[in-house]
Amino acid sequence: MDRRLKRSLPIDLGLAGLAGFALLLAFVGSAHLRPFDAPELDPSPLLLPVYTLRSLARLTVAYLAAVLLALATGHLAARSALARRLILPTLDVLQSVPILGFFPAAVGVFIGVFGGSALGVEVAAIFLIFTSMFWNLAFGVYESLITVPEEVKLASAQFGLRGPLRWTRLVLPAVVPSLVYNSILSWANGWYFLLASEIIAAGPARYTLPGLGSYLGEAIGAGRNDQMLLGLGALVLVVVTMHLLVWSPLETWAERFHLDETGDHPRTPRIARLLKRSRIVRSLGRRVLFPLAQQALIVAARLLAMPGRISPLLALAAGLAVLGLAGRGSLALYRLFTERPASEEVLRIPLSLLFSFGRVSLGVLLAVCLAVPLAYLSFRRLRLRQAVLSVLEVLGAIPATAFFPLIAVLMVRLELGMNVGSILLVLTGTFFYVMFNVLSGAAGITKEMNEAAAVLGLRGPRYVARVFVPAILPSLVTGCVTAWGGGWNAIIFSEYVVAGGKLHSVRGIGAMLDQATYVTGDSQVIAASLLSMVALVVLVNRLFWDPLYRYVGARYKIDA
Amino acid sequence: MPDAAPSAGNPTAIVRLENVEQFYDRKIRILGPVDLEVRRGEFLSLVGPSGCGKSTLLRLVCGVLRPSRGTIWVGERRLQGVNRQAAMVFQSFALFPWLSVVDNVALGLEARGLSLRERVKRAEKHIDLVGLSGYERALPKELSRGMKQLVGLARALAVGPELLCMDEPFSALDVLSARNMRELVLDLWASPELKTKTILLVTHSIEEAVAMSDRVVVLKANPGRVAESVELGHVPRPRRAGEAAVREEVDRMYTLLA
Repeated sequence: MDRRLKRSLPIDLGLAGLAGFALLLAFVGSAHLRPFDAPELDPSPLLLPVYTLRSLARLTVAYLAAVLLALATGHLAARSALARRLILPTLDVLQSVPILGFFPAAVGVFIGVFGGSALGVEVAAIFLIFTSMFWNLAFGVYESLITVPEEVKLASAQFGLRGPLRWTRLVLPAVVPSLVYNSILSWANGWYFLLASEIIAAGPARYTLPGLGSYLGEAIGAGRNDQMLLGLGALVLVVVTMHLLVWSPLETWAERFHLDETGDHPRTPRIARLLKRSRIVRSLGRRVLFPLAQQALIVAARLLAMPGRISPLLALAAGLAVLGLAGRGSLALYRLFTERPASEEVLRIPLSLLFSFGRVSLGVLLAVCLAVPLAYLSFRRLRLRQAVLSVLEVLGAIPATAFFPLIAVLMVRLELGMNVGSILLVLTGTFFYVMFNVLSGAAGITKEMNEAAAVLGLRGPRYVARVFVPAILPSLVTGCVTAWGGGWNAIIFSEYVVAGGKLHSVRGIGAMLDQATYVTGDSQVIAASLLSMVALVVLVNRLFWDPLYRYVGARYKIDA
Repeated sequence: MPDAAPSAGNPTAIVRLENVEQFYDRKIRILGPVDLEVRRGEFLSLVGPSGCGKSTLLRLVCGVLRPSRGTIWVGERRLQGVNRQAAMVFQSFALFPWLSVVDNVALGLEARGLSLRERVKRAEKHIDLVGLSGYERALPKELSRGMKQLVGLARALAVGPELLCMDEPFSALDVLSARNMRELVLDLWASPELKTKTILLVTHSIEEAVAMSDRVVVLKANPGRVAESVELGHVPRPRRAGEAAVREEVDRMYTLLA
């Protein structure tokens, strides 16, 4: 069996590559080698399915690339101490870079390399989507691998599992639960930032790709509410469909890979059970999906196992590459700031940063105040919790900007300013992270602990204070950390919004970055804003969140 | 022979289950119908194979589970909600990892309206009774399994329950700790210091049940129901595992279960 696989593998890979390339060509259309003109997006609702499919295709390609790279990176970091010391800090810094920060790279590298053609723009968009999906996947892979119990690792070593077999029997199974969970998060992120990924700006040049994100973006910008609602409807439909057909079954499947058993297990959701009754779904699954998945697994395992033997060398090479890039980047930055005096805008950065810091912090605080009570109300009733989770998955995928008309109405009715509006928008980037994590923490409270609390007479507020809140504290902190990052990502779309032909903005670093990227094209401002923002986020992570997490994890963690 | 006491409110019964049935998901019968009585001052054990619903019965008695059908009497009244006369010790200890030993033990006293000073005093007294003096400020993760269960025991006793319920409390302990703890429970039961005089023990070990109880109710599985109630009051205490009388009763019970 193995030998046959060895022979078929190159052909399989070649076929897959050809198919992918053919798809890309067909997908991009006939004008793939001419310079891209950025035509006006045709707002006809009949084209909406096409736009949706194209966005879906981009998201899929970006996701697959993110998964493969996350597996390779996470595995490398878990195996080699040297790689870990290089990779983790790099990931940490890069994940704090807002998506706009990758525009220069996207435009310069991808669009430039492909000669300004439509193919280049597509790849650039896929790259941008990739940057919103990749980081948590990589961290997730790394964390699952380092928490594999020692005994399991010993057993696999003793049974001589090496290369691809090690991947399919040890690494991938260990990684599956985290991968599934983070995939859901990544996709939500991908949808959230689709707007920004499909409308790429670099100074005066603007590239608009036909897709759901740009469709929504233009609708909001021009104030065409019916178009926006249609776009949102399509988005919700796709997200819900994916949840039912892809994520729900995957989650159930991933349960068997859990290396420990805590809390209670959600049963198969009713929709999944219903779908399983359909013969079409079952035979599709049996004949197409599972063999495809298995084959993909084997191919991936072989690909990933190849660099295994030269792992230390690979780490060294990667490290040198990173250093080289960092060196060139620093040089470019130095030149940027010395070739002409710092523009006035740059001097406004510290205060703007402070304002934005306040908004993000408030966003996290608000998210906690909303999520904890909601989680408490829903965690005891399993069905309610599953319903809440499903709704959250859908809501979490809706881009912040799409909430803006609703928030704008609120702002007008209650006569609040953009200051409040921006905080509400930041909330859309923070709430879901806190909520997901708190729910997961609440599920970790063992049945016996709850029974003990009941027998001892702890009810209502006393239960919340003495049992619920302490038990969820580690998850709450994790949620806050990710919400903090999410909030900073959302700040770009919260402080500078073009809706209904009007500009709504407040003083803040997000607004500065937006203006510099989409309007003035001032590279100094872009670079300085990005640097200061990333520096602040990383600093706060190191000095506040990490120590907090360590303290809380030590005292409050439930080891069943 | 199943317990039969058709009149409501039997003064010698601390808890009485009348025609109790339990269903899972409204379709699958776990338990019942069961008639069971826990008499005041007795040490009663429930034994049976897995799936016979003995842990479910315990939770019904404590009121953390509501019966699908039937009534549970506490004294002369129907049980509604948690049974305030009872306290429970858990198989997996169920201690709260962020609370110290004394805070864990005092947890149930807060709901009973005691002041802080009274709570601490009472908690410390019970920590002393189980032999953990000096460990008041320790965190659960710093304790051995045997010590954790002692904390669980102290926590249950501290609320001064009339009925102490124990769900396979010794099964997660090593043999020596389990033996020491069994003797401690019997000592405390007899001691005038505690007002807890009725104990309901769920165990899968027949030897344990015979060694400790006044009466053993044997349960059968699929669905769970009472098979037999065996009186052991005539077996003199203290009981040693190797004694003839004890071995005789153990053998008899194995035959019952066969």
